Amino acid sequence: MNVVRSILGRLLAVFSSLKTSCVLIAFLGLLTWLGTLEQTQTGLYEVQKKYFESLILVHHVGSVPIPLPGVYLLMALLFVNLVVGGLVRVRKGWQTAGVVVAHIGIAMMIVSAFQTYSYSESGHVTLFEGQHSDQFESYFRWEIVLNEDLGNGKVGEHVIPDERIVEARAHVVRVTSADLPFAIDIEGSWPNCRPEWVTAPKTGETSAQGVRLAAKPSDAQAEANIAGVSVAIVDDANHMRREALLWGAEAKPFAFVADGKAWTMSMHKERYPMPFAIGLQKFTKEDHPRSDMPKSFSSDVKIQEGATSRDVRISMNQPLREGGLVVYQASWGPADAMPGQPLFSTFAVVRNPSDHGPLYACIVIALGLVFHFSRKLLRFVRLEARTA
Amino acid sequence: MNTIHRALLVAIAACLAAPFARTQSQTTSAGSEAQSTSAGTSAPVQPAGAFLGESTGASAAPSTDSNAPQPADTTHAHEHVEPSSHAPWTARTLELFGSLPVQDGGRIKPLSTFAGFTMLRLNGKRTLTTFDDQKQEPVEWMLDVLLFPDIAIRQPVFIVSDVDAVSAIGVSIDGKKKRDRWTYGELQPGMPKLFSLAHDYDAVPPKERSTVQQQVVDLASNVMSFLRLARFFEFAHGGDAQESDALALIPCGVEAPPDSAWLTPADALRTIGPKTKLSETNAALISGLEALVDKRTDPAGFESALDSLHTRLVAMAEVRGEYARVPLERTYYKLNLIGWSLSLFVGAFLAVAFSWLRPKNKLLYRLTALAVFSAAVLLVGAIVLRCMIRGRPPVSTLYETVLFVTGVGTLVALFIEWVYKSRVAISAAAVLGMIGLFVANGYETLDKQDTMPSLVAVLDTNFWLATHVTCITIGYSAGMLAALLGSAYLIGKVFGWKRDDPKFRREQARMVYGVLCFAVIFSTVGTILGGIWANESWGRFWGWDPKENGALLIVLAELVILHARMGGLLRDHGVCMAAAFLGSVVAFSWWGVNLLGVGLHSYGFTSGIHTALWTYYGIQWGIVGLGGIAFWRERTSGAKGVPHAAAANVPEPPPALPNGKPTRAKRTRSAA
Repeated sequence: MNVVRSILGRLLAVFSSLKTSCVLIAFLGLLTWLGTLEQTQTGLYEVQKKYFESLILVHHVGSVPIPLPGVYLLMALLFVNLVVGGLVRVRKGWQTAGVVVAHIGIAMMIVSAFQTYSYSESGHVTLFEGQHSDQFESYFRWEIVLNEDLGNGKVGEHVIPDERIVEARAHVVRVTSADLPFAIDIEGSWPNCRPEWVTAPKTGETSAQGVRLAAKPSDAQAEANIAGVSVAIVDDANHMRREALLWGAEAKPFAFVADGKAWTMSMHKERYPMPFAIGLQKFTKEDHPRSDMPKSFSSDVKIQEGATSRDVRISMNQPLREGGLVVYQASWGPADAMPGQPLFSTFAVVRNPSDHGPLYACIVIALGLVFHFSRKLLRFVRLEARTA
Repeated sequence: MNTIHRALLVAIAACLAAPFARTQSQTTSAGSEAQSTSAGTSAPVQPAGAFLGESTGASAAPSTDSNAPQPADTTHAHEHVEPSSHAPWTARTLELFGSLPVQDGGRIKPLSTFAGFTMLRLNGKRTLTTFDDQKQEPVEWMLDVLLFPDIAIRQPVFIVSDVDAVSAIGVSIDGKKKRDRWTYGELQPGMPKLFSLAHDYDAVPPKERSTVQQQVVDLASNVMSFLRLARFFEFAHGGDAQESDALALIPCGVEAPPDSAWLTPADALRTIGPKTKLSETNAALISGLEALVDKRTDPAGFESALDSLHTRLVAMAEVRGEYARVPLERTYYKLNLIGWSLSLFVGAFLAVAFSWLRPKNKLLYRLTALAVFSAAVLLVGAIVLRCMIRGRPPVSTLYETVLFVTGVGTLVALFIEWVYKSRVAISAAAVLGMIGLFVANGYETLDKQDTMPSLVAVLDTNFWLATHVTCITIGYSAGMLAALLGSAYLIGKVFGWKRDDPKFRREQARMVYGVLCFAVIFSTVGTILGGIWANESWGRFWGWDPKENGALLIVLAELVILHARMGGLLRDHGVCMAAAFLGSVVAFSWWGVNLLGVGLHSYGFTSGIHTALWTYYGIQWGIVGLGGIAFWRERTSGAKGVPHAAAANVPEPPPALPNGKPTRAKRTRSAA
């Protein structure tokens, strides 16, 4: 028992030590630096996944692989270090009050980052003037949607989420569900691909009607990737097997009959419902006079929630906060539009449970640091004055 | 790049219709491009198309050949009896002209500002050395270009850093230096080639352009601005009024909403249609402008014509509430506070150098302190004036970060000096001020753009500029100051200054620590505020954008230093080494990430910065290296038992245990 306790004590001491803090922060700095440099080669999305959202990664210096802890892992360790060393075990008193407060603020930041990472949804709504929508679309995440004809004009919907699609890049994924009279095997999955004519498919490659999906290198702008999958609809009981290719940019769904019902299957970016509909009435882009430098963008929108509606202006730096969502003026296009050509406005939509987390954390940190260091400074100046 | 496309559209006009055409050819009828392009040439009138074909041939077979068909204009200035000078502009003329309001780059500014930056772009500096070795100020030169283009084309105003760019356009480079200034007349034979090459090179992404390619693109753009100015009074000569579009001098009416576009003479004249006449106001202004051309050879008459035009234009701008800050901006440039501040910093630096040789001299010390203090006051004054002119917080462009970093750095250093009076901080202030303002001037010269520009939509928010940007910049400033003081400590130790005064060393290290504490507050809060701004304006707190990462790196570096000091891993020497290294981290965040060329924040790319940046990295790393050597020497000499003069008092690294692990240092509690 004592041995366990002493080992635990040792561990606690290591975890809470300042030396550990230094090592962890230094590693964070190293990864931030490497991740920044890597962005000149690869797109931001890939870099983010590799360096900042990973537990462990392999960085290549020339051709030498160097294993490194990922920022996700470092943050978790730093959180433990901070709470144990900087809050629990730290000497308490006026001397450390400011530091403790600042540490609380940092802990709040880490918690709110974790919340954002795990629970936030983000995407966009793109509308031309006169259009409206009550759902927003993810930038990166895909889904496979199965629709079933229930008769009487009713349609049932089944969704295969992004995780399964990603999983299928490594091995065949079988999707089954009590609601489905068949299984779906995702046999191939490509993060970025284009359909291509083939004369004879290579072994192990699915082609449907002479078309295959050819993998393309990831786009530096990850939202420009168009994913695709090859799937097989398998119903062993009825000895049915149908193969299909689903491509993210395809307009028409794949249609088939199973269990005596009509089904369709398609792949597109994940969509999230909004508690209200947003309709674009007018998009305004203003330039500084006699220059092509944008001065402001704004969209006049109508927010329809049930029977009530109201007009809102969303502009740069002035988002709309409504029903747990924040709607931002993000972009517009087409970039090469001629004067008079209709423009579209893109809104970034974010559902973030810790939307204001960083703000509160920032206030706490600022208070802590200012208190701590002004106290030190005052004491120091007073001491100097006495010795002088 | 619009300029270049425009350049191609009017290439025909640009090549043939020399700006000075008008001075002889008062008979040309207005309207037709072909007519106006051939006007004023002593060669027979040719259709523009034929000329282009011909001159392309000429540039293929280099036009250095004197027999090759040349655009007649080149020889023109010499053939005709044209004045090589004119009666000098009166002082009042220059004053009136310089203070005319003009709309450029999205804002209203004095014409003198416009002239200054135009000349900076073309000439590489703000003073022109004329062909007859006179000095000309931008406003004077611009008046010449507008009203005496035949003289202006003989002024060597086009700086080309690499003569290869000129030979690329097929112009003889005999007798020219690698970096030299050219006249329009000299360059003219190469114009068609210049514009066609510029068009091709413009398609090359800026990062991939060779020096010569970049020079050609720049030269074409500069020639275009010159030609636009030279053709500004086209309408007054009965030429094509559409060419008179270089200066938006005519305020729009009172009824137009704020920030509406002002008019050029071309815009004003374009309002004339079959049924519409020029409005009375605009008609009066156009004739006011025409009067300038009529009186250009009569200094007194010109002055009074300009005076009445000035009164009219200023009154119109005032009614719109768009003139108020123009005189202020005039004052700002006239006072040249930054120039004076720089001179004082240089003076202070020299005084500091002497004062280290004569440590006992009180007068020298006081002089230094006075110089640094006045320099800082002037700099703060300049920053305040800029805020008033633009109605913005102090930092909104890269140029302004330099001023602000320098200002804050010197003020903090002055405060430290007030506390310690040990001459270290005041020396640092002089060095920081001098280098900072040299960098500011260098950046302005490299960038060649208005340093008080309009801001793109997302930056145009005073709240975030005042909070996030100001905090971050104060963080940069403190980081730089810490690096400077840390470097001074290390250099002092290497050269054995004040070897026998351990108290002095301790104080120095304590200064570094104090500045680091100051830095970490602003860097941390500033970085988080940046995230909050990003969350407010595009919906994510943190996106691992290079500029964000750079700011984070500073915070992390400072946190490591402070925690390592707290944990006894770093002592005075170590903290100073780390602070010296911090300088390169700050430089990376401040300038380096902009050179990476990716991300939302990449602005103000200039290749000259690259050299300066790597020089700075080199210096800082060199100092860190020296510090390492000094540390090692101290350790080994200590181990050999040779008592170092200061060893007894200078805190040493924690003694190593037999297994090589340093003991957990007991913190020596200092007053700080």
